[in-house]
Amino acid sequence: MDLISTLVINGLATGMLIFLLAAGLTLIFGLMSVLNFAHGGLFIWGAYTGVWSYQLSGSFIVGIIVAIVTGLLLGLITERLIIRPVYGNHIQQILITLGFMLVLQEFIKVVFGPNQIAVSPPAFLQGSFYVGDVIFIKYRLFIIILGLLVYFVSMFILKRTRIGLIVRAGVMNKEMVQSLGINIRLVFMLVFMVGSAMAALSGMLHAPYSGVIYAEMGLEFSILAFIVVVIGGMGSFSGSLFAAILVGIAQAFMAYYVPALSLAVNMLLMTVVLIFRPQGLFKAKG
Amino acid sequence: MNLAKVEKSTWIYLIFSLLLVIVPFIVTGRSMQFIIIQFFIFAIFAMSYDILLGYTGIISFGHVMFFGIGAYSTAIVMNQFDSTVLSFILAIIIAIVLAAIVSLIVGVLTLRLKSHFYAMLTLALAGLFLVGAEKWRSLTGGNDGFTFKLPEILRDSQNFYMLCLLSLVLIFFGLRRLTKSPFGRVLMAIRENEKRTESLGYKIVHYKVIASVVAGVVASFAGVLYSISLRFVNTSVFATDMTIDVLLMTIIGGVGTLIGPIIGAGLVEFAHHWLSSLADVHWIFERWIILYGIVYILVVIFFPLGIVGTIQKKFFNRQNFQKKKQQNHRGKLEEGRDKDEIYRNG
Repeated sequence: MDLISTLVINGLATGMLIFLLAAGLTLIFGLMSVLNFAHGGLFIWGAYTGVWSYQLSGSFIVGIIVAIVTGLLLGLITERLIIRPVYGNHIQQILITLGFMLVLQEFIKVVFGPNQIAVSPPAFLQGSFYVGDVIFIKYRLFIIILGLLVYFVSMFILKRTRIGLIVRAGVMNKEMVQSLGINIRLVFMLVFMVGSAMAALSGMLHAPYSGVIYAEMGLEFSILAFIVVVIGGMGSFSGSLFAAILVGIAQAFMAYYVPALSLAVNMLLMTVVLIFRPQGLFKAKG
Repeated sequence: MNLAKVEKSTWIYLIFSLLLVIVPFIVTGRSMQFIIIQFFIFAIFAMSYDILLGYTGIISFGHVMFFGIGAYSTAIVMNQFDSTVLSFILAIIIAIVLAAIVSLIVGVLTLRLKSHFYAMLTLALAGLFLVGAEKWRSLTGGNDGFTFKLPEILRDSQNFYMLCLLSLVLIFFGLRRLTKSPFGRVLMAIRENEKRTESLGYKIVHYKVIASVVAGVVASFAGVLYSISLRFVNTSVFATDMTIDVLLMTIIGGVGTLIGPIIGAGLVEFAHHWLSSLADVHWIFERWIILYGIVYILVVIFFPLGIVGTIQKKFFNRQNFQKKKQQNHRGKLEEGRDKDEIYRNG
């Protein structure tokens, strides 16, 4: 029993990290119909700048803030330079963001060096405690809570505020929103920045979780995020959460029971889902 | 065979091929010959990718799996059997049959999907192959890979050069024939407008599957040559980087033209070689992938047709332009006459 609950908690924590990454991706795809393969690059930039400032200042909170700011800024630059010339052309988007991903990944090595960097959680999140027989590792619990917080706040903004209304209307009909006098370009840019910030935050949170960061993890994780987005249904926020948790838990259980398959489990899940439900598990409603 | 019917461009390509036959007698440096051989192999690989991307408009991120299938089946056959010419032929047959079967299954299962879903799914499938090659250590040696022996005749780099060149030329003409056939026209129609092609009564999934089988088989053959050129194989033949490389070659050269990917492969191969040798000059060149990525981005934004595509467009535009100029000229003459009349009358 305690084994299963430990695995579930591990899976939930991994799932939440993937969700943060995938949420940005699905937001960007849902609104702007942009396939951003550079998302993983934003993820590692968040991780590296966040960890750098965290180790420099000694404060984890500062690290998180720096990561988010990096994500916002990089999102701005990416949208302006990379995405804007290729709006509306999926093939070009895939190609150009893939190229940008390469640049971001290599640039990390120029700025921070090519070696792996070890990271440990801050003092107040280290260790674990027992509830009955079940071990709760503090940092994992923290990630789960933060992930849920981000989900609920985003859902609240999307469903209950005027900005969310504009964003959702933009998903439905871009031209109509534009004709109402709303600068949809600006909304696009902001959404892209928020999505990028989510990726950067996910990267920063991931660093102490895995204990080590390296430049190549960007591509690995962006593939994972894409798998989650595809399973959940492209553009569906709740779908991403559901799929991320599904993938996280499946991975945790596979890693314990059938280690040989743990790397392939996401791909298998996605293949099965796509063959039977090509539109993903959830239908995108914005 | 009626020689007069052969197109002019065919003659040009044949002359180029003959020139390439002389190259190994002039360039005797082993490393340079190796680079040219690599260029031939990747040119074949890039052409096969172009059948998907350029002619049918399918983006596959998993094309590398066929390359890897070819490379591994050769290596494994050579490793398990005697290294004779016979086993080499057996390896080629196995590689081609395997690639055809896998591409058929993958195609039937996935080509109904929309472009981005298809891209993701192929990425995942290629990932499965990578994981499989890493885990099945008894057969593949995992990440470390393994070396294998070659038959005597292939060990001579001159012979191998000729084999690669011959394959490139044959595959080039074969694929050119294919793309100029009615079948190729349907593929292009699918690229331009899938729905319209479907409404004309073509079963587009059939055409797409056939295109992906052709591309898969050719890519697998490139993989065969690749593993032979290295006499070694490891899981890097399944890596996503390889797909990105071949994408870049196709795009720089020009999608939708077969000669484009060949030129692109040449440029990328030589750039690889040149940039990595620059690492001694300045440390920034150790990170040459940055330059690579920037070139990639710039090409997609400013040069979406690639080298060959841009030249072709310029050429055709010039023809059109001249026609227009003639028409305009005539128009202006008439205008001038009108003005003259106004002058005279007014």
